[in-house]
Amino acid sequence: MSPADPAPSTRDPAASRAAAPVEPPRAAPPGQQFGGDLLTEIFNNSMDPGYADAAEKGRRDTPLGVAGRVLALAAIGFLLAVAYLKVVADTPATTQARDKLVADVKRDQATADRLETDAEKLRDEVSGMRDQAFREAGGDAKYLRDLEAVTGLGRVRGDGIVVTVGDAESAKDPVTGKPKAENSDGKIYDRDLQKIVNALWYAGAEAVTINNQRISGRTTIRAAGGAILVDFKPVDGPYRISAIGPSAMRRTFDATPAAKQFRALAGKYGLVFGVKETDGMTFAAAGDPQLRLARPVPSPSPSPSPTPSTTPSGGGR
Amino acid sequence: MIAVLALIAGVALGLILKPTVPVELQPYLPIAVVAALDALFGGLRAKLNKMFDDRQFIISFVSNVLVAGLIVFLGDQLGVGGQLATGVVVVLGVRIFSNVAAIRRHFFKA
Repeated sequence: MSPADPAPSTRDPAASRAAAPVEPPRAAPPGQQFGGDLLTEIFNNSMDPGYADAAEKGRRDTPLGVAGRVLALAAIGFLLAVAYLKVVADTPATTQARDKLVADVKRDQATADRLETDAEKLRDEVSGMRDQAFREAGGDAKYLRDLEAVTGLGRVRGDGIVVTVGDAESAKDPVTGKPKAENSDGKIYDRDLQKIVNALWYAGAEAVTINNQRISGRTTIRAAGGAILVDFKPVDGPYRISAIGPSAMRRTFDATPAAKQFRALAGKYGLVFGVKETDGMTFAAAGDPQLRLARPVPSPSPSPSPTPSTTPSGGGR
Repeated sequence: MIAVLALIAGVALGLILKPTVPVELQPYLPIAVVAALDALFGGLRAKLNKMFDDRQFIISFVSNVLVAGLIVFLGDQLGVGGQLATGVVVVLGVRIFSNVAAIRRHFFKA
């Protein structure tokens, strides 16, 4: 296709219209005569020119023609129905696959939760028996319990603060009512949670949880896709970060750069940020850290390997 | 009148028979539908202009579907099936629009 031929009148109109079917020559404006504009061509000749030819020749309906017309229309109707059925049949297939995946994930999460509860119960049992063994041997288990509480392996109770952070409400599309593209400015990322947890440690916290997940020395807070994983378990916003610590912790925390930054962000982008003092919180124990390579230096005499577990645990931070 | 009945009969036939489309033909189904719609609206416009011709209608329907399918098939072989299918849909879609516009002008004078 040649755009805007400079000398249109010197060329044979029939030759330049090779692509178009035979049609009665029309008086086209000089600029359009040579088919420079494909879309204009399609718009102008949207009806098959054969109809005009047939009308000129004055063809009559024949029985054969009517039969063919009926057949063709029936074929078109059939085609439309088949396409409709296929679309209807296709939609559930995609949703089915998704539903199945969602069900799988939910089931596996339930299994993981059950196993976690089992492990916690067994851990309680073990520590009870250990305490008893200590007592029978005339020792004191208190030191061990304190150590467990400090490292996050034992349940603890105390007063402290709860920091609540959450994504800013994303603007709704006025037409569809669906949320518009996520505004990344008002979103909480894994590093935000890390920052807050670190600020809490700085403020003197002795035990920290995120959405009731205890943070131990080997707990990871990181992102996988859009989700935040705490100790490899997904947590949803708004995130409640609770900490047990001294009574001045709230003031110290509010003065940290992290808290100041989040207050500023809350004012600017509308993300959720709140700090409140809460008494009598109980934190569950963190998951077993499963040391695989590190060994305690004074090796305990009866059992040389304190954690014989071979379960693969994720890397630390 | 007979044309409308034939169309309805075809739809009913498809809904009753519920044929399964072979997997290798499935990519051509949407293209075939657009091509068929183009032939249908072209025929309707011709009918309203009192220029309808059976032979022209049948040939345009069959050739539209075949050529559209062929283009997409060729595109699939060359690895640009999606783009060529888009091209077919655009061209036929433009034709459908302008034919429907002509039909609308015929009925509503607007």
